Amino acid sequence: MSDWRVVVTIVAVYLLINLMVGLRAGSRSTDTVAGYVAGDRGFGTLVMYFVTGATMFSAFAFLGGPGWAYSRGAAAFYILAYAVLGVAPYFALGPWAARLGRRHGYVTQASLLAHRFQSRWVAIIAGVVSVIAITPYVALQMRGAGIVFQQVTDGHVPLPAGAAIAYGVVLIYVWRSGVMGVGWTNVLQGVFMIAIAWTLGIYIPYKLYGGIGPMFQQLEALRPEMLTVPGLDADGARWTHGAYSSAIAVSAIGVWMWPHLFMKAFAAKDDATIRRTVLLFPTFQLFLFPLFVVGFAGVMYASAPDTADAIMPHIVLTSGLPALVVGLFCAGALAASMSTGDALVHGAAAIAVEDVYSGVRKNRMSQHDKRTLIRWMAVAVGVLGYAIALDTNLSLVGILLAAYGAIVQLAPPVYAAFLWKRATAAGVVSGLLVGICVTGLLVVRPEWRPLDLHEGIVGLAVNLATMVLVSLVTRPPDTDHVTEWYRTSRQGA
Amino acid sequence: MPNRSRLKRIATRAAIAYFVAMAVAVTFPGVTPFNTIRPFIFGVPFVFAWYLCWIVGSLLVFAFLYKVFSE
Repeated sequence: MSDWRVVVTIVAVYLLINLMVGLRAGSRSTDTVAGYVAGDRGFGTLVMYFVTGATMFSAFAFLGGPGWAYSRGAAAFYILAYAVLGVAPYFALGPWAARLGRRHGYVTQASLLAHRFQSRWVAIIAGVVSVIAITPYVALQMRGAGIVFQQVTDGHVPLPAGAAIAYGVVLIYVWRSGVMGVGWTNVLQGVFMIAIAWTLGIYIPYKLYGGIGPMFQQLEALRPEMLTVPGLDADGARWTHGAYSSAIAVSAIGVWMWPHLFMKAFAAKDDATIRRTVLLFPTFQLFLFPLFVVGFAGVMYASAPDTADAIMPHIVLTSGLPALVVGLFCAGALAASMSTGDALVHGAAAIAVEDVYSGVRKNRMSQHDKRTLIRWMAVAVGVLGYAIALDTNLSLVGILLAAYGAIVQLAPPVYAAFLWKRATAAGVVSGLLVGICVTGLLVVRPEWRPLDLHEGIVGLAVNLATMVLVSLVTRPPDTDHVTEWYRTSRQGA
Repeated sequence: MPNRSRLKRIATRAAIAYFVAMAVAVTFPGVTPFNTIRPFIFGVPFVFAWYLCWIVGSLLVFAFLYKVFSE
């Protein structure tokens, strides 16, 4: 059997195990929307740990992270900086959201906001923003899966086919099992991606340069500019301090705003589970270290890949590793892509139905009908993401940073909901609309960004100012409702 | 339980102080004094190790917070 066939066989076995785990998990939830979207609020620490880590670190971390270290050097450190900063508020706000979810039956972030601000328009706008930001992110994950297939099979399985195979499996278990399928496959995928990352991150520098220390010493002599922040920009020039720092800021503020992450608070069994998840999160995040090491190893490597994002599979394929190891690497990379992609597809579908469709139609669907509609919506999001993923001019980390610009606009409503009683629906809606328009404008006209700041940060500042001003000049929210909402979040039902 | 709530308040403020300090220390201009390659720390450039240390530190802060809030 030729090497690429061995690799495909290993990957096929891996995908089959994923499918079995995902399908089996579905039998543990009820036939309700809360069962399909929030796992009947029964996730323990093991599943929450892997759901949080594996969902946050995706193809962008597994392929894009080494890609950035390889092509832009220490610029990649922004990923190291933001994740812990972004997760820290979850220690307090996660249990608050979970208590409110148990009391009021929320399963999505937008439904929490809509009830707090007593406006379905808040849910509709937040839902639309979420779906718009999530769809290209789904495409990013699919593209990551396709790249891996194409590289390791030497083009025998092209990118479109590879993405279709991996996400065909994802859609089947998401359809059948909802968040339970996402959760239990994430445990498997998380273990796989951590194990593969650490193995390769230690082995590759040892094999190529005699160890991590000797590798960095050689790199210091050859390309010292790669080893200090802010690293390089996409054109190879020095990245600016403003762009580097604002990339950290927009990602740190935005990371918990991703609805597919936020809504996992509604799936947690209790407050202690969420706190333990936050406590253990840095242990997951440290797997970025070996991934960056592989990227740095690529700088002095004898040959170059077609694109920077392909540096990790390129080294794995051309450094004489056995086909078995290549196959396991491929499975690990697919795990990184699928563990985020499944949560995104599932989350976007739930939001589109629960918040946008139900908000606009104002109709009361049965639990069964709503669950069926969410399933079809997951297929629709998957198909749309697949169409975007076939665009060959996309960079993994580049897409993610652009999507963060949109999603970070949800930060003022979310923090105001929990921390500022005077915030009003009019303030939140107008802030969101203005923030999104400003961010979109700066994406089209990047030369208008002040100090080279990320467009999302500029949009966020305008969003925040608008929300505060409009809230202060509009009628205050119902005091009894807000007081009761705050009491529930702090003390439970 | 005045002592218990006081301890929670102190722990929360200490955690907020840590993460504000981290935000300053990993962005410009705060990172500038630590933005060097040497000395290598366990073979890793100093600024790379700087970022890793803040992550490990956050693990300790979360552990302290968890202990205070779970008792």
